[in-house]
Amino acid sequence: MVTSAALYHLMWMINITIDIRNVCVFLAPFFSSLTTIVTYLLTKELKDSAAGLVAAAMIAIVPGYISRSVAGSYDNEGIAIFCMLLTYYMWIKAVKTGKIFWSALAALAYFYMVSSWGGYVFLINLIPMHVFTLMVTGRFGARVYVAYCTLYCLGTILAMQISFVGFQPVQSSEHMLALGVFGLCQLHCFVDYLRGHLSASDFQVLFKATIVATGTILAVITGILTITGKVSPWTGRFYSLLDPSYAKNHIPIIASVSEHQPTSWSSFYFDLQLLVFLFPAGLYFCFRQLTDANIFLILYGVTSIYFAGVMVRLMLVLAPVMCILGGIAMSGMLNRYMKDVDASPVILGMPAGNLAQGKQGDKRSKHKQESNFVMKSEIATLFVAIMCFFLISYTMHCTWVTSEAYSSPSIVLSARSHDNSRIIFDDFREAYYWLRMNTPEDARVMSWWDYGYQITAMANRTILVDNNTWNNTHISRVGQAMASSEDKAYAIMRELDVNYVLVIFGGLTGYSSDDINKFLWMVRIGGSTDRGAHIKEWDYYTPQGEFRVDKEGSPTLLNCLMYKMCYYRFGQVYTEGGRPPGYDRVRGAEIGNKDFELDVLEEAYTSEHWLVRIYKVKDLPNRGL
Amino acid sequence: MRTIWAVAFATCLAIFLVCFTTPAQAQQKRREGLTLSEKVQQLTEMSAKRSILRFNGHKFKDFVRSTPRNYSMIVMFTALASQRQCVICRHAHDEFVIVANSFRYSQHHSNKMFFAMVDFDEGPDVFTSLNMNTAPVFMHFPAKGKPKHSDTMDIQRVGFAAESIAKWITERTDISIRVFRPPNYSGTVAVAMLFAFVAGFLYLKRNNLDFLYNKTLWAFAAIVFTLAMTSGQMWNHIRGPPFVHKTQSGGVAYIHGSSQGQLVLETYIIIILNAAILLGMILVTEAASQKGDVRKRRILAIVGMAIFTVFFSLVLSIFRNKAHGYPYSFLFK
Repeated sequence: MVTSAALYHLMWMINITIDIRNVCVFLAPFFSSLTTIVTYLLTKELKDSAAGLVAAAMIAIVPGYISRSVAGSYDNEGIAIFCMLLTYYMWIKAVKTGKIFWSALAALAYFYMVSSWGGYVFLINLIPMHVFTLMVTGRFGARVYVAYCTLYCLGTILAMQISFVGFQPVQSSEHMLALGVFGLCQLHCFVDYLRGHLSASDFQVLFKATIVATGTILAVITGILTITGKVSPWTGRFYSLLDPSYAKNHIPIIASVSEHQPTSWSSFYFDLQLLVFLFPAGLYFCFRQLTDANIFLILYGVTSIYFAGVMVRLMLVLAPVMCILGGIAMSGMLNRYMKDVDASPVILGMPAGNLAQGKQGDKRSKHKQESNFVMKSEIATLFVAIMCFFLISYTMHCTWVTSEAYSSPSIVLSARSHDNSRIIFDDFREAYYWLRMNTPEDARVMSWWDYGYQITAMANRTILVDNNTWNNTHISRVGQAMASSEDKAYAIMRELDVNYVLVIFGGLTGYSSDDINKFLWMVRIGGSTDRGAHIKEWDYYTPQGEFRVDKEGSPTLLNCLMYKMCYYRFGQVYTEGGRPPGYDRVRGAEIGNKDFELDVLEEAYTSEHWLVRIYKVKDLPNRGL
Repeated sequence: MRTIWAVAFATCLAIFLVCFTTPAQAQQKRREGLTLSEKVQQLTEMSAKRSILRFNGHKFKDFVRSTPRNYSMIVMFTALASQRQCVICRHAHDEFVIVANSFRYSQHHSNKMFFAMVDFDEGPDVFTSLNMNTAPVFMHFPAKGKPKHSDTMDIQRVGFAAESIAKWITERTDISIRVFRPPNYSGTVAVAMLFAFVAGFLYLKRNNLDFLYNKTLWAFAAIVFTLAMTSGQMWNHIRGPPFVHKTQSGGVAYIHGSSQGQLVLETYIIIILNAAILLGMILVTEAASQKGDVRKRRILAIVGMAIFTVFFSLVLSIFRNKAHGYPYSFLFK
């Protein structure tokens, strides 16, 4: 948000009058272009400029990144990836040169990253892990020491300026690795200093004693701090990444978000296509030529692929490193073969990357070329042609995926009818506009949290819960209201002071992201707090354990508020040819509870294709009637 | 002398008669049914062996229905056979076992209450005599009198968790049971074994730790990990899909029909295909950089390229089968 405001004021200062809404809408693509540039710079540091160009070209169209940076998706990740890659670029520069200038810049970039996304925890654990690996493999030196110390001190102080982070860097377990490695750096350098000044045997004794003493002290201190609670354990969001089944069993609200689901192999292929195969090849290339920077890349790649496997949303963090490693692999392979494509025996103008061969190699390869050059250049040409073909197929795949899956507005739906003409479902906007025009200004609307932002923005009415609600108990109360019978739900609705209730119903059109399909999550979340202890998931299944809405369905389900709101008057509607009235096209069944009346609600509005249904909560009845 | 002989003869005769008549009396008693103390003794013996007794129709009549009784019976009517397809019977059975075990080891343990179960396949007559056609059902048969309406546990309302069963039992019999769920040690055992394995391995190799510095080992480990992750092993771990599943036409499907799900065998196939593609690329690279026999390098390059192309087309065709509407394909459809 600060970025948008800054850009807005900057534009106005140079007299380009652009509306703030347009700034917000186009912020994400603008930062994606900046990401492309940073990827080029980063890969150039890691390998060479040829690899950089390939990587930048790949990240420009990779669907995994595009899906979260579409124009109009105004979320943290749009700028967070740019900040992350910028920090990495500065860090690699700092490690390679050992200058305080670059580490200070890295600390500033880190500060920008912390202020934009909670995923900075990944960064502050990856960089210490990198330093630790360098120590273990014996590559630790003055450069890395200077780089890390500057980055850690400046970066932590800057990060603590953000009110959301506060004192966490010295208190929570997520930041302890950075602190530990910082201490270890100091020890390592001190030990190196001593080694230069002591004799060998004295040094061995001192070394062993120090290691044992430090290890014991550290263990004792950490133990005391954890037991007394000064160092808080890992919070739920990040713990669920380490232990993937934790969220499913203990925190249903985290497990219910569809982006937090694990990733199947077809999602990997869908978002990354060719890169999935180039990624291990890139790792192979990195291992052939281990440098300090390559080790960082390997660590980044392996950790991000684990996290992307656990949560679909983190595919976003994986996409840049996939492009970088893919670029390295592709340019490495092409480099070896391109020089053979040119079939002339005179070897002039060798590519710049061919530094390994000396003069001797030139002569030998000239001979080889003269004797066998026909076949060699054929093979090389064939290889280059195949690679070109795969790159073209990557481009076509990315374009197709982006246009089909990630380009549709989510508020206006469309479908193709049997004669291939398009039908537009504009029900959402229609219903929200009705709410805006036909309800009192201070009306309160209850719906599930997915629609909170939409109702606030388009209908301009107060809602109970939206995507940003952190109050688990509140969302659970709404879930209890939806899952209880009418009487109990009425008590809850009066307590929450609700005037209107809104549900999304897809049974008439076949829209499968409707509230009945989300209903089990409402039940789980509703039953997860104390006041919802009477709501049990098993009650809503048949005795055989199935979730059914027809006659065989569980009576608790057939009489709960959500069911009644979705299927009110639906029993008389003919939906498909050859089916009885009241046939639900999403669940594929005729509904069980058809002719009922609503006691505590009255129907206020149903949109054209029954997608959005709005009910008014009846007032308390007059006494004595 | 003669009187002594007479008395002895009379005593022998009396004893003789008593011996002969008593068995007849005992047989009569057996026809009537076991005595109360015998029932209690048999039940106690059986529950010492296992906490839930399995009854067929005959035993059910003997122990649960027949009078006299001074104990109550908690009976679960279930259908555990796999062709009955009663998923929650299995869950209910596990919870029931926990309650029975908690009772057995609790301080209120007595021989005033016993736990039993009747499976539909072993005692269908019991089900018909009680007019039951659903499962599972928990019923309490009190010591005196017939079971009332609230002696059938209302699973629809309170569920069948062990705590609910215990609460219902307390309501009906005034015997309170503290439910004790045995802690799950399998995780701890697995971690401990892994630790022991790693420690032993390091100890054996303590003289020569150079293998840790071997670049190729780490490269191999990283690549194997990557291949495992990209084929969706995490998804398998969290969602637990079946290995293969049967299609409606009776065949066996190796590949899940839509791109929303996957089967375990499918992920293994994908790992093999990915590894093959990677192998192709490595062969091609090695062929270009090695300084060796030209012919060998040429063949290596061609083989590498062929493997790469063929397996990539295979992956493309599998993906095309799953994601309906995907328009591209290469060598195979």
